[in-house]
Amino acid sequence: MDEFLTISEASRLIASRKLSPVELTQHCLARIRSLDSVLHSFIRLTEERAMSDARAAEARIMAGSARGKLDGIPIGHKDIYCTAGIATTAHSKQLQDYIPSEDATTVRKLAEAGTVLLGKLATHEFAFGGPSFDLPWPPARNPWNPDHFTSGSSSGTGAAVAAGLILGGTGSDTGGSIRGPAALCGIAGIKPTYGLCSRAGILPLSFSLDHAGPLAWTVEDCAILLQAMAGPDPADPASSGRSAPDYASALNGGVKGMRIGVVRHFHETDNKVSEGTQKGIDGAIDVLRGLGAEVREVKLPSLADYSACGFLILVTEAFALHERWLQTSLEKYGELLRDRMALGGLISGVDYVQAVRRRRELCATTAAAMKEIDVLLTASQPTEAPRIDAVPKWAILEKPGFTIPFNVTGQPAMSVCSGFGAGGLPVSIQLIGKPFEEATVFRAAHAYEQATEWRKQRPAMAKLGERSAA
Amino acid sequence: MPNTTLEDFKALVRRAGLTLTDAQLAEIYSAWGHVEGMLARIRTPMLPREAEPSHTFKPEYF
Repeated sequence: MDEFLTISEASRLIASRKLSPVELTQHCLARIRSLDSVLHSFIRLTEERAMSDARAAEARIMAGSARGKLDGIPIGHKDIYCTAGIATTAHSKQLQDYIPSEDATTVRKLAEAGTVLLGKLATHEFAFGGPSFDLPWPPARNPWNPDHFTSGSSSGTGAAVAAGLILGGTGSDTGGSIRGPAALCGIAGIKPTYGLCSRAGILPLSFSLDHAGPLAWTVEDCAILLQAMAGPDPADPASSGRSAPDYASALNGGVKGMRIGVVRHFHETDNKVSEGTQKGIDGAIDVLRGLGAEVREVKLPSLADYSACGFLILVTEAFALHERWLQTSLEKYGELLRDRMALGGLISGVDYVQAVRRRRELCATTAAAMKEIDVLLTASQPTEAPRIDAVPKWAILEKPGFTIPFNVTGQPAMSVCSGFGAGGLPVSIQLIGKPFEEATVFRAAHAYEQATEWRKQRPAMAKLGERSAA
Repeated sequence: MPNTTLEDFKALVRRAGLTLTDAQLAEIYSAWGHVEGMLARIRTPMLPREAEPSHTFKPEYF
């Protein structure tokens, strides 16, 4: 077996009975044992459950009743996804002993698709604070260089996928928590349209900005995972009621004639990116144009306008959720979460309403700017990953982020690796579609990914085969 | 530096029901200027009277 397999590759091997889900699961568990003492991507391994899931998948496959592309595929869930009978901690002392009685809807759907649950993955505390060093578990580390940050909050998923410990996993994204780790860990991650994936059973951070979605090594793998996760759910009041179209059939449509709008002022003026990130963006534009896309420039409101609106909504909704604990057991939070979330309690009701009024205006302005555009392109993160001990506490306030605009508007947005920066760590682009146009985002991202070489490189520390051969 | 005085800021913290040490309060106060900038930004330019919030609800959900 190859040391690194994508979901798509493993699925083909399993379907043709050249690879056993049990063998694949054992392979992942062995990798976790070798690497996770450094990466800290897992909070909890569910080895017994994984082997039971794998044996069940193998039995189905041998009986000719496989459930599809995800049958027998090892994954992990961010530890804010509730898992029946398995602790779900939000990486916080507040919920250290919490064992849900039911699965989140997306957990159930992925289990029904045949996935193998390897365990629960590190997150920033309640998907907001981080990187924190004062919690019951250490923060996840970046496999490209463990002294560096993974971004967050789906930090464990980003690290575990990049290192080949899992083939894919779940994340949540309230201001960029799927796209950030995907960017800094050099993988793919999509925040789908608000309401496409159920949030039921996922510990909330901010009701109107929370999105569930997948992270994986490739765009195609994200499409496979999203296919299983998406769809209507009466248990989620924000559920759109829409079913997901067949993403796989749209994947290879190419970008000929696709209208791509580059939001140049986001990454060149509003928050100027590093040279390596800019090179990645320019290279992606050249590749997409070379594949037949029509590239033009698009002007949106400033990044700071979206960030202000998004941040104020986020912290106010988050404070409302955590109010009781913040007032009665403040000491159980880590410093970063406590201080960031406290700000939400100081914002008035009028401030919040002004923010949600501005939000509607920003959505309308963005939609108008995209009338003649299929996909937007900008940065996902400003630089490659900084050192994990050098992330300023108030970084989220000091410069406007590239990802939160599309939590404000609810559009689908995806991070894709676009090369490597001066320090040898990944850089990325972000592709954004119109609401419920995930298939178009996948099509553009897949075409770009297929035309570049970035998927051939894995972090050096993760190449156990080479290390043992040496 | 925030426009809100430290005394007024302490009143906001009390209204939120938070019990903070002096060090915690100082740390959060140091970031408050950024939030004030955001609060001003969402009000600029002023929205027209008819601008609705994004979550104005639809009664068929009930």
